[in-house]
Amino acid sequence: MKKRILQAYKQAPWRVQIQWIGMFLLAVVLISAIAGVYLSINSQAAAAGRKIQSLEYQISEMNKEITELRSDLAAERSTENMMDRAEALGFKSIDPQEAVYLRIPGYDPDGELILAPPRLNLISESPVVKSSYKSSLWDWLIENIWKMTGGLSNFKEESTP
Amino acid sequence: MKPPFYFRYIIIALVCAVLGIAIVVQMVRINYSPTAQDLISKSADYQGVEKLVYPPRGTIYDRSGNILATNKSAYELGIDLKFVVDPESIAFAAASLFDDLDYEEVYSLANTEKRENENRYFVLVSYISEEKILELEQLEKNYKERRVEARSTKPSLQGLVWSSMQQRTYPEKFLAANILGFYNYFSRETAQGVYGVEEAYNRLLTGKPEKVFMPNDPYLVEALPDIDPGASLILTIDREIQAMLEETLADAIEWSGADGGTIIVADPETGEILGMASTPFFDPNEYWKYEETFPGPTPYNRAVGTAYEPGSVFKVITMAAALDSGVATPETTYTDSSGVYWVEDSWPIYNWDGGAWGEQDMTGCMQHSLNVCLAYIACDLLEEDLFYEYLQAFGFGKSTGIDLAGEANFPLRLPKDNQWVILDLATNAFGQGIAVTPIQMVTAVSAIANDGKMMTPHVVKSVVDQGQQYDISPQIINTPISAETAEILTQMLTTALQEEASTALLDGYSLAGKTGTGEIPTELGYTSSQTNTSFVGWGPSDDPKFVVYVWLEKPSISTWGSEVAAPVFRDVVEKLVVLMKIPPDNVRLTLSSN
Repeated sequence: MKKRILQAYKQAPWRVQIQWIGMFLLAVVLISAIAGVYLSINSQAAAAGRKIQSLEYQISEMNKEITELRSDLAAERSTENMMDRAEALGFKSIDPQEAVYLRIPGYDPDGELILAPPRLNLISESPVVKSSYKSSLWDWLIENIWKMTGGLSNFKEESTP
Repeated sequence: MKPPFYFRYIIIALVCAVLGIAIVVQMVRINYSPTAQDLISKSADYQGVEKLVYPPRGTIYDRSGNILATNKSAYELGIDLKFVVDPESIAFAAASLFDDLDYEEVYSLANTEKRENENRYFVLVSYISEEKILELEQLEKNYKERRVEARSTKPSLQGLVWSSMQQRTYPEKFLAANILGFYNYFSRETAQGVYGVEEAYNRLLTGKPEKVFMPNDPYLVEALPDIDPGASLILTIDREIQAMLEETLADAIEWSGADGGTIIVADPETGEILGMASTPFFDPNEYWKYEETFPGPTPYNRAVGTAYEPGSVFKVITMAAALDSGVATPETTYTDSSGVYWVEDSWPIYNWDGGAWGEQDMTGCMQHSLNVCLAYIACDLLEEDLFYEYLQAFGFGKSTGIDLAGEANFPLRLPKDNQWVILDLATNAFGQGIAVTPIQMVTAVSAIANDGKMMTPHVVKSVVDQGQQYDISPQIINTPISAETAEILTQMLTTALQEEASTALLDGYSLAGKTGTGEIPTELGYTSSQTNTSFVGWGPSDDPKFVVYVWLEKPSISTWGSEVAAPVFRDVVEKLVVLMKIPPDNVRLTLSSN
């Protein structure tokens, strides 16, 4: 009876083989998928790395170009060059006695040069956030235990919202 | 029952196991062998390069934003031994393109044993132009074509590498060089600002170099950290005024035959230096020629680096002390009956012309620049305690604190010092026996032009650092005299110039000022054949906007400040009022009343 029951539920040999093959193929597929993902991420990381290198090089080249252009511009606009160009265009130095002075409302000939925003007062402009909103639970616990040791009444005052 | 070939299976299994164990043992052995350690350390060299990144040095602007000092690109050429395949071609290329490089030297460097880890990279030459790099690139291109044709690895410049670097440049060349100083950039490790603003603000301008590791492995590559450039400076200097001063000074020296000179223009209200010319002129782009331009003890900037006996311009200070202390008023008179003043009946003091000028009020004393009168004021009216108290209040004997490197200071000899004698009091009163720098005189006189308030002289107006601009506020050093005294003295000196019909006067403008002729002390005492001629003046008298100081050293055309320095002052002011947009008095008063 027992043998018959076992025989009734036993897999056919070809089914067992197919299951093993299936499991093996599943493992292969899984490993391939993981390897594929790994390869893909690595290739992307490498490509990103190369891209960063390329961008760094571009930044360096652009900075070099900016520097070069700035120094060229400064040389072109030097006093000596500007004087030469002015003379070539037919300008000449003014005779102080011939100068005509006009008051132009709103015009400030000696306006301050601003190359960058003025210094910010970081302390006064920082948002006022209560320390209780910035401390961790652990900090809060330690702080309050410390306060408790200093007196219960003091603790109550501080912790009341 | 054992399967067939059982022992064969056992033998194969044993062989495989032994082989496996042998492989593992060998792996461990190789990993921990001395050769492996050597290889590991060598591999570190190929993992990447650690570079010290220098931030670009800050730019220096004039007050209108014109660039006075900035950076430009240059290149460094070197040999990286690990890539060298053809030392002969490298040596040939380097020696043929660069005069400073010798074939033998470059060859021996390029042919160095590559296994030596240290000194794998040699710098051949720094700060070379882009044109030279283009020539090298062209040469390498030609070599490549030849290699392809010959199917050979030679000729090749592989291993000859160049990288960009920044070089300091001064686009205005000579302009304001005495204020800017220079940056000795040739040795990057030890480079620093020398003289002027470059030295005084070296730390701010330089920024902070940072070490950065640049891996060869693309997996490890990260964006380079942002390295803040050095701070930029906005100077108080006006480029147009500076150019005008340098041109005027050069003309004045040629005309007067002076050995050297300096002209300073300052704003008395703020202490800002608007221009400061000093000889000799110098191009900081070629800073290595410093020794040629400044032989021996020649100062880089006379205006701050040289103390000299100023002569009669100093009478302004003595008179300011007398008026402010109340020992004299403009109406106080002095009778110069003999043209000589005896100091304690022992030492005679004479006038500049040796003559007697009779009764003079204080304006007359200043107008005729009477030594005897000023000696009398110092010795009989002020006396030593009060006189030297005022001199110290005007800042003499200590540095002004100007933000330029190399400020000189000659200590003030005081009555408590052993070397001091009563004659010093008399001679100091008219600017002899005392040494001051031009910037000290400008600072002191600025107090008279600024209602008694003496401002710290400075050349930096703002600092731009990390994207923010920090403006430097004017600072009061001291208030040596009252506003009332300053006004009275300005009026006296305006009248004195007008009545004297000085060559310093400019039509349409009220100016206050004083000439100075200082005899130069030598080993044989004072000799009148060589003098320091000076003029200090400010204007417009009712609302001073500028102080101008002129000093010409040892002029040959004349020994008198009134004949040499005063006309130069006039030339300066004539152009200055246009550049500063200051109309003549009548126009200015009409415009302001409207």
